[in-house]
Amino acid sequence: MPRWVMAWPALAWWTFFFIIPLFWIILYSFGSRPTAVAAGPVALEVLSFDNYWQALSEIFFRVFQITMRTAGLGTILCALLGFPVAYAIAMHVPQRWRSIFVFLLIVPYWTSFLLRTFAWRIILAPQGTLSDILQSVGILGRPLLILDTNAAVQLGIIYNYLPVMVLPIYVALERIDTSLIKASMDLGAGPLRTFLQVTMPLAAPGLFGGLVLTFILAAGDYVVPTILGGTKGLMVGNLIATQILASQNLPLGSAMAVMLIGLLAGVLIVAGLLLMTAQRLLGLLRGAPL
Amino acid sequence: MAADVELERVSKLYGPFTAVDDVSLAIRKGSFISLLGPSGAGKSTILRMIGGFELPDYGTVRIAGRDVTMLAPYRRDVNTVFQNYALFPHMNAAENVAYGLRQDGVPAAERKKRVREALDMVEMLRFADRRPNQLSGGQQQRIALARALVKRPSVLLLDEPLGALDRKLRQQMQVELKLLQSQLGITFIFVTHDQEEALAMSDSIAVMRHGRVEQLGAPAELYDRPATAFVAGFIGTQNFLPGYRVDDSLLMRAEHDAMFEARRAARGLTRDAHVLGAVRPENVLLAGEEPAVRNRLKARIAATVMLGDTMEFVLALPGGRELLSRMPRRASGSLPEGAEVWAYWEPESFNLFPYEELEARQGKP
Repeated sequence: MPRWVMAWPALAWWTFFFIIPLFWIILYSFGSRPTAVAAGPVALEVLSFDNYWQALSEIFFRVFQITMRTAGLGTILCALLGFPVAYAIAMHVPQRWRSIFVFLLIVPYWTSFLLRTFAWRIILAPQGTLSDILQSVGILGRPLLILDTNAAVQLGIIYNYLPVMVLPIYVALERIDTSLIKASMDLGAGPLRTFLQVTMPLAAPGLFGGLVLTFILAAGDYVVPTILGGTKGLMVGNLIATQILASQNLPLGSAMAVMLIGLLAGVLIVAGLLLMTAQRLLGLLRGAPL
Repeated sequence: MAADVELERVSKLYGPFTAVDDVSLAIRKGSFISLLGPSGAGKSTILRMIGGFELPDYGTVRIAGRDVTMLAPYRRDVNTVFQNYALFPHMNAAENVAYGLRQDGVPAAERKKRVREALDMVEMLRFADRRPNQLSGGQQQRIALARALVKRPSVLLLDEPLGALDRKLRQQMQVELKLLQSQLGITFIFVTHDQEEALAMSDSIAVMRHGRVEQLGAPAELYDRPATAFVAGFIGTQNFLPGYRVDDSLLMRAEHDAMFEARRAARGLTRDAHVLGAVRPENVLLAGEEPAVRNRLKARIAATVMLGDTMEFVLALPGGRELLSRMPRRASGSLPEGAEVWAYWEPESFNLFPYEELEARQGKP
């Protein structure tokens, strides 16, 4: 039995639920709204770029910009918050307790994503707990007014995707042989230099995975902005959902989705290139060992 | 000569377990010392305390006269070759070797020169740009050695560095390590549980048991004049015969009223003490006729074992105990299994020790 036989289920799943739908979305994006209801969701007799011209509106780019900012900032904050957590669990928690800590990270996921996000409405409400506490402590002079704004969306995104960031970093850190840390210290590097020269480079694949995963999920999210963002905290996902679900304009929604995919890919490629250049520069700065 | 590394009444406890129990040790500058013992004897803990990875609960560690007991590893003039080599997987061989020099801020030109020299020293120059996962175990071992030695430490700590290598390569590395050590004049502290390795390489060996140094001495001294039955049994192979000392003489009354004569009794052996008499297999001779010596036993050859240049005879004694005898194969002649023989040995090769329960190598009743 050839080895690739085992890959069939995954391949089939991937093809039916990912490649083919993607192909349809791309095809739809070149179609137009059907004139008669009987003609199906999208008219494909005449294919054109009309939807893309329409999507290239000022509003799309403004929302796209906000989306990138929210997802980007969210990803960075998730990394800043998540790395120390992953580090602490992997490096300072004894082995037999580690799986319990990881389990605690995942426990919230047992509750519905929607419910957890809705719960934030209660916490963040102007008359809510957080607002009361901040006022009574004296940090705020008036009720907290971040619900249904971009700030609430930002918060919701960080909250929801933090574990997605922590887990791959944790896995990478956990796999680091502690004797490497000892070897580094033995060779004269203090804790900070050891962290920068040994721990970080070895954790980089996990960190990179966490960054990409979190960024993609956050950029495509539309549940959090829908629930916490109101009309002010709009993201591209909402725009696409509105076109498809509310306006019944599947071709325009598809064009926006395709543009989102393309732009996201572009952002990731640029980020990757920047990272590689930075690494190259750092290597040049250090000089060859021989 | 001055002591390079000095341990003074050092102890380390892990909960109720005493890993190192009041050990004092002075290691001469430029010497090759092995810490030898079974696992859990505390030898690696001692090494980690010298390296700075473990803080002793009591006592003082000095390197070159300076108290370093509480000093961090990166502030000590010692380097370590780790058991699993601990090479940085994200750096190639040359970068691994350069790592320590980089931390010290050695200028680029000198750094390159020293890295090249270190790689050349371990004959790994042509593997300089290989990553650790592209190197064999023996090659990784050499890189680890170069990485530690390139910093020219006054003391090199080696934590069972040859454990993962196959026998042939291990013997080759033993010779190379020994040569390197005498060339460089660096103090080597070598941890091993392999007594052959320790005998082959060391100027002196500290035999450890239960967190204590049982005996410290040159290899030949430990082999010929072990202080306790444990050392006698741990270094080389040993036949032990239980019995009682006759008064405070060098005579021993063994099972079946056999009388044996020794030339040496362990220090502190009391009158009429319960003793173990020890004789090495190579000193047990075989004869067809009853020999005219006091130390003799009638035995049956239960098995013969070919050891290459030597032959080992497993002898069954009347009481059910076993006795080992070894001789050069040329001299072994025709002694078939099942043959009745006389086993005998000289008093010079027989030592008396206070009785103790030893786990292995003791003739089973």
